[in-house]
Amino acid sequence: MKDMLKITLGLVAIFIAAGLVMGVTYKYTSPVRFIAEKKEKEEALKAMAPDATDPIKPAGNWSSSHGKPYEYYMATSSGKPVAYISSTAGKGYSSYIAMLVSMDTDLKIKDVKILHHGETPGLGDQVEDRILFLDQFKGKALSQLVLLKTETKENIQAISGATISSRAVTNGVKDAVQTLVDKYGAGVRTAAQEVAK
Amino acid sequence: MSNEVNYGTIIKNGIFGENPVFRLALSLCPAVAVTSGVKNGFLMGVAVFFVMTMVNATVSLLRKFINPKVRIPSYMFIIATWVTVTDLVMAAYARDVYKQMGLYIMLIVAFAIVLSRAEMFASKNKLLPSIVDGAAMGMGFLLALVLLGIFREFLGKGSLWGQQILVSDGKAIKPLLIMILPTGGFFAMGLMMGWLNWIDRKFFGGTGGGGGAH
Repeated sequence: MKDMLKITLGLVAIFIAAGLVMGVTYKYTSPVRFIAEKKEKEEALKAMAPDATDPIKPAGNWSSSHGKPYEYYMATSSGKPVAYISSTAGKGYSSYIAMLVSMDTDLKIKDVKILHHGETPGLGDQVEDRILFLDQFKGKALSQLVLLKTETKENIQAISGATISSRAVTNGVKDAVQTLVDKYGAGVRTAAQEVAK
Repeated sequence: MSNEVNYGTIIKNGIFGENPVFRLALSLCPAVAVTSGVKNGFLMGVAVFFVMTMVNATVSLLRKFINPKVRIPSYMFIIATWVTVTDLVMAAYARDVYKQMGLYIMLIVAFAIVLSRAEMFASKNKLLPSIVDGAAMGMGFLLALVLLGIFREFLGKGSLWGQQILVSDGKAIKPLLIMILPTGGFFAMGLMMGWLNWIDRKFFGGTGGGGGAH
């Protein structure tokens, strides 16, 4: 009985000491981490809309078909919108491929950037490594976001050996563009009509 | 263990005689998982090196205090603590590394080699030899991962540390893709183990095939 108490107290003492060590480390590292993460996010957003002069502000939230929450942002230059940016992800072969998509005011894609993924090295990770694949998205409108396995200039051509990852990227981008078309599409259409007049 | 401590033997044991990966054949899963590139292998090795040194030091300091009946939970908790500290520090001060390694760091808690050194060595030895043993074992693990990484990345991607080496006509050549997939990891591991055993037998008169000084 006495032995049991001694063992228990010994374990508790170790656990409390370990908790203290972890707590102190967390206290001193978490502010650094928080600032670094915030800065990284801002830099990524800024890189997506280099022509915006005002700070990029979040404009709303949306959730995709796989139920994860994402944010979209409006980049403005002296008050006028110049680009829309949205975070998004597509379900790939072994991970969610997290991306940022930027669109111009006509809601055509300006740029797609892959933030992180866990696809198979050598196969799925080609969606990030092969610049030609992501370059295909530039200038495409929502209706053009179709993945084909044949050579195409109009749509998106899949990487052979990485079809699932290619589809994940295409679907993720499509979700983001669809969301912003639903939100801002009407405004864009009126603006376009006004120009036509 | 005798009272006289031979640091040279401990270091030699950790790196060659009882190399965690090639000789003790412990922690093979992470060794296969992270060595698709030299850089990943090296960074993982550094994290393990730090954790092993700290764990061995802590266990050695507390060895008289820990009741043998509950030593395994105590060791696991000490390991988990140091891994968490490593994780938190890396997340704050080594962001680029953490982005690539973050997923793997937490797995160090379950590395058999860390627990086995705490149980086999640190719980029976004084502070300084324990630290040296942890560092030597960590260094052996690091070297093994780097070797595997060099072998696999060179054949599988034609590059080393992300720098393309095998090129023809200015373009990267098509490498042996299988080497950077998990299958290739097992090939590389088996081949290297075999080579090291062969070298040991041929040049150092060892038995080749596991088992070091004790």
